[in-house]
Amino acid sequence: MKINKFNSREIARYTFAIFVILLGVFFEYLRLGDKFLEFESVGSWLIYIGIVMIAVITIQFFNNRKRVVDERAIFIANKSTRIVFLTIILFAFLIMILDGIHPITMPYHLFMSWLICGLLIVYFISYKIISRFY
Amino acid sequence: MKTKITFYRNKLKITQEELADLVGVTRQTIISLEQGRYNPSLELANKITKVLKRKYIEEVFKI
Repeated sequence: MKINKFNSREIARYTFAIFVILLGVFFEYLRLGDKFLEFESVGSWLIYIGIVMIAVITIQFFNNRKRVVDERAIFIANKSTRIVFLTIILFAFLIMILDGIHPITMPYHLFMSWLICGLLIVYFISYKIISRFY
Repeated sequence: MKTKITFYRNKLKITQEELADLVGVTRQTIISLEQGRYNPSLELANKITKVLKRKYIEEVFKI
């Protein structure tokens, strides 16, 4: 059985995940923020995110699938990024108009989390569509 | 861009997977190149030409 070795990228990712957990513990200790994204506090949310990050990194580490990032993948990723950038501009324009008509009362952290999820979906879909043409 | 990758690959009895491994790209990229959907960089075109044992890039890739 082939045993994977840690590289600098994985070490950096694990370090960041541990930092997020420690930050969560620190915030929890100081009792900063409450009711954040359906969590009891910002600290508990950060701890949850840190554990999910560690789980994802570990699954990717033990997954032996060979991952090749070639020039075509980079080319498609660049095109998708451009589409995401245009989407941000159009969405911001639309939000400005909607906010003018009827003020948006959604909390900022909730709005941003929805926005990031939306952009990731746009990126994923555009990547899949563009890869069919190139 | 028209290519003769399939012709020379079949001549050398190399699969798409093997060619992809030899030049360091995915099989999907080789498929795209063979179908003329993707224009490779000069570096990749040069690598493919060498793997297919051709002297000039123009023998494999035609604009």
